[in-house]
Amino acid sequence: MYAAPVSRLIAELSRLPGIGQRSAQRLAFHLLRASSEEAAALAEAIQEMKRTVGLCERCFNLAVGPLCRICEDPRRDDDTLCVVEEPSDVIPMERTNEFRGRYHVLGGALSPIDGVDPEDLRLEELFRRVEGGGVREVVVATNPTTTGEATALYIADSLRERAPSATVTRLASGLPVGADLEYADEVTLGKALRGRSSL
Amino acid sequence: MPGSFKTEAVVLRSIRFGEADRVLHLYTEERGRVGAIAKGVRRVRSRFGGRLEPLFRVRLILHEGRGDLCTVSAAETVHPHARLREHREGLDRGVQAADAVLRLFDAAEPNRPAYNLLCQELALLDHSPEAATRAQALAFRMKLMLAAGFAPELAGCATCGEVEAGGLFSPAAGGVVCSACEAGAFPLERPGQEFMVAALARPLAEAPTAADPALRQADRAIVETLEHHAHVRLRRVA
Ligand SMILES: [Zn+2]
Ligand SMILES: [Zn+2]
Repeated sequence: MYAAPVSRLIAELSRLPGIGQRSAQRLAFHLLRASSEEAAALAEAIQEMKRTVGLCERCFNLAVGPLCRICEDPRRDDDTLCVVEEPSDVIPMERTNEFRGRYHVLGGALSPIDGVDPEDLRLEELFRRVEGGGVREVVVATNPTTTGEATALYIADSLRERAPSATVTRLASGLPVGADLEYADEVTLGKALRGRSSL
Repeated sequence: MPGSFKTEAVVLRSIRFGEADRVLHLYTEERGRVGAIAKGVRRVRSRFGGRLEPLFRVRLILHEGRGDLCTVSAAETVHPHARLREHREGLDRGVQAADAVLRLFDAAEPNRPAYNLLCQELALLDHSPEAATRAQALAFRMKLMLAAGFAPELAGCATCGEVEAGGLFSPAAGGVVCSACEAGAFPLERPGQEFMVAALARPLAEAPTAADPALRQADRAIVETLEHHAHVRLRRVA
């Protein structure tokens, strides 16, 4: 229906998350009408990102160069390590301005049903980092999902054995600010109740 | 035929989909396996909350559109299995049970015994996390095999019917075999065989137990029988 190069672009765009056939067509026609400079800037931005951004050698967060911005920052505390599933989870944690330690990105969560076993994640690297000493607390910030919980329990068990001097903590579960109590599920509400604090 | 229906279900598996959705593999009481999409469920303020996480037992209203997947329009908790989620062994065994149902029961037709068995297993693991033993997991698998129509022959030779059979198990024959029919068989000694018989006979909550070598033999007999006859590959329980 379209000229071959247009079809190709539409096909590539529609593979992006959240982009259906319709949106892909709209974007392709936008780019067709845009100036050559504008289109080239987009293409170059994609290429530059793919060329320069990799994973941090220490924590597996996104990094330009061998270490990420957080691992390079001398003001961060070395004795607290926050474990997250994906690099995208670092950003919301950073936005809280509550955490001053360093990170460890696992690259997913344990899920035998999906074929994700311990050796598929950066768990061994985590355990070695903690065994290496200097880490007082490991904050497990995997998602509060079934797979995230299974991963948290696995980490806690393994560290109890391999680095008993480190404390393993888990992010508290509770009610989201602004939510209605009547919509809360029983597991969340139960945890919120147990984690209540005095006023 | 588009429309809505109500059913109870256990969430077996959940896969991230799109921006904030999840695709769910459900085992329902009314229709067996159903695939459904839960829209917006990954948002912190979703009205579903955590109810559509794997191992939740829920009462659902599902909308059937033209596609393969239903859409979840309402979810109410029957059993959250909250305690199970806090114990590593319990959670691992619970996920393993869901995995076995996922692989063995892929048809969109109800199987009440299988549904009830899964619910019982999850409730049991939730009630007593210390019940999450290998023997208990194997007993669950034996009962699941029965519900799926793949229970092994344990009384006499699966090939010739000889009652003096014992000591050998053949996945291809689908049960214990006598020495004359032993092609492709491996050892299943008396304690392992007795464990398997008792696992089928007793209620799940009173699952038998046995020594490690017997459990290993039973584990192998179960996994290889299912591989041979149901074309399903389960991980060993051990
Ligand atoms: Zn780093
Ligand atoms: Zn025989």
